[in-house]
Amino acid sequence: MATPIAMPKLGITMEEGTIVEWPKAVGEPVEKGEIVLIIESEKAEVEIEASASGVVRHYYAEPGDVLPCGSLLGAITEDAGAPFDPAAFEAEQAAAEKRSAGAKRTTTPRVAPVRAPAARRGGKAAATPAARVQARRLEIDLGRVAGTGPGGRITRRDVEDFVERRKDLVAVGRGVQLDVPRAGAGDSVLLLPGLGTDVSSFAPQTGALATSHLVLGVNPRGVGASDAPGDEVYSVAQAAADAAQVAEGPAHVIGASLGSAVALEMALAHPERVRTLTLITPFVEVGPRLDAVADSWTRLAAEVSAADLARSLLPWFFSPGFLADAAARERVARGLAATVARVPAATLARAAAGARAWSGSRAADLGRVAVPTLVVVAGGDLLTPDGAAIAAGIPGATHVTIDDAGHGITIEAADAVTDAITTHLSAQD
Amino acid sequence: MARRLSFKDAINEALFIAMRADADVIVMGEDVAGGGGRKDQGIEDAWGGPFGTTKGLIGEFGPKRVRDTPISEMGFVGAAVGAAATGLRPVAELMFIDFLGVALDPLLNQAAKMRYMFGGKARVPLTLRTNVGAGNRAASQHSQALYGFTVAIPGLKTVIPSTPADAKGLLLSAIRDDSPVIFCESKSLMNSEGEVPEGDYEIPIGEAAVLREGSDVTLVGMGSTVHTALAAAETLAADGVHADVIDLRSLYPMDETTILESLAKTGRVVVVDEATPHCGMAADIASLCADKGFDSLDAPVKKVTAPHTPVPFSPVLEDAFMPSADDVVVAVHEQLGWNA
Repeated sequence: MATPIAMPKLGITMEEGTIVEWPKAVGEPVEKGEIVLIIESEKAEVEIEASASGVVRHYYAEPGDVLPCGSLLGAITEDAGAPFDPAAFEAEQAAAEKRSAGAKRTTTPRVAPVRAPAARRGGKAAATPAARVQARRLEIDLGRVAGTGPGGRITRRDVEDFVERRKDLVAVGRGVQLDVPRAGAGDSVLLLPGLGTDVSSFAPQTGALATSHLVLGVNPRGVGASDAPGDEVYSVAQAAADAAQVAEGPAHVIGASLGSAVALEMALAHPERVRTLTLITPFVEVGPRLDAVADSWTRLAAEVSAADLARSLLPWFFSPGFLADAAARERVARGLAATVARVPAATLARAAAGARAWSGSRAADLGRVAVPTLVVVAGGDLLTPDGAAIAAGIPGATHVTIDDAGHGITIEAADAVTDAITTHLSAQD
Repeated sequence: MARRLSFKDAINEALFIAMRADADVIVMGEDVAGGGGRKDQGIEDAWGGPFGTTKGLIGEFGPKRVRDTPISEMGFVGAAVGAAATGLRPVAELMFIDFLGVALDPLLNQAAKMRYMFGGKARVPLTLRTNVGAGNRAASQHSQALYGFTVAIPGLKTVIPSTPADAKGLLLSAIRDDSPVIFCESKSLMNSEGEVPEGDYEIPIGEAAVLREGSDVTLVGMGSTVHTALAAAETLAADGVHADVIDLRSLYPMDETTILESLAKTGRVVVVDEATPHCGMAADIASLCADKGFDSLDAPVKKVTAPHTPVPFSPVLEDAFMPSADDVVVAVHEQLGWNA
């Protein structure tokens, strides 16, 4: 029996793709998970992995061909001797496609968007020799590892970090596992990061909280070593359900930016899992500027290196006073580069779609929040300026504004945020 | 017991030790005796060349073993090769390596070939001491780092110490080696000081030294650029990047093992060399890493060298010509993807 290689549909707007390269020749053996096809869609090159092991048996299209999503492009058979008729297989696939028209594809390939075209060499994943050797030794698929090296190359340490993080996996249902680093012991604290970042954005707070709590940093779907299901939208409701799964019992839930939307959703939809709520730079509606930044961020993530992407985000995340310190600016540029490298463009697109779909849906429900709530507002926040109004809308909420700080307040005003959280939590213990 | 000595005094001490231990050791070159013994003019001792490295030798060992030569490199290097081939252990001083061109045939076609062409029956225990490198405002014809030329000639060994202690121990090894050894002295280090053990000891030719240990990047220096690499390592450490710093010490034979073991640990190599970039040590080490260290590489090997130009005389340009610690830091940042 043959397995088809088809043009994937990688986003809501994708209708067709261009074949860039077939890395394997017809007759060459291929392992499940190996890169079997490179396509281009919306200016991003994407590597497609084989969904079965065997031998590349036949190609129906050539590099340069532009084909609609779902088109049959090639076939893999168990071995070179297996009976196979290209024309018959094509007809069979066309019939199957017709039968399942409108139905969800069952063989969604895992995708690994390529960040920096400059780092690609001869169609191989952009990884250093040391990273390749280490990935082979540890049996890691490089397509899942984020690169932090020059031009977005995957380095040996990136591979080792990925393996390290896969040790922290927590199942949240339907075969999806999330990367949840743990620290400390005690009552549970859940950290929910914002769009396009991971739990490292809470690094300054984690140490202080871990002295008296079990801190669970929840890397959302598609971030870091968390699984990245092929859904077109990563909804806020799903993220809240995931976090509720991680929590097990009632937890102190702390979210920043999109993470605060998830936290708020948790407090409303899974109140039994929320002991206290901390909303940092929260929003209930995606404003035009946040929308525009999410859009440019998603596009840049597919085109430029993590280092360049991080630098382009600095003006949105940090205040002029903070950026005036050249050393601090360099430090956050590097830190943010490492963070954004762990969030592929596809994840950004899916999470941003979730934020837009959620926008406005909970604006009228703030009054129903029934747990002790802290709202931390950044006085100089360009992206989520409605924090004070949200604090006013939640019954009994404590409102702390940190003057002049930018949206990236957990980093920029790390100590002030930590103090506000520890004060809030100790008032409840 | 060790005490602090300058680089040039460590060389001077090594010459005394070698000449006292072996009557076959002789010293020859331009101004090596320089006025020694002219008591009538108030000169008790030799001037000892531009850096005073042979000062005092003529007073103890006399004019038969410490010989001033005419300003003819072809003549005295040729004579030294002949002396070595016929039983002496000469230490000749080519004042600047820039004069290599006029002395090349005796080195290239005689000294380097004899042991090979006579089936190992001839010995050429010649040491050629010579000043290398820029930084002394000595202009294009007295500032080059031409050791790549001698490394390229099979049959010659080439060494370059970076500390007074290594200068003494490597010079003693060079003098006692039965093959011709080019002993390079970095001008910019001659007045530097360091701890130097007393007595007679040898630093083996062909062994590099690891001067600092780190896990993120390997910095390879030689002669003066060892100190450039150490300064860069200090700056990098402040940013949380930890460097192995390797002092090559021997250019040929080169200690490949130490470089490759460090590369296996760090995944990144930056070679710092004050020679120009083509056909040199930096290119050789980059080639070694690509060939035998490929699977360890986590970033392209970076060469931080002088540019492909003559050494400028303008002090401003000469300073810009020399590889700096900042250049090394930038190269490491590029390897880490910080400037990508």
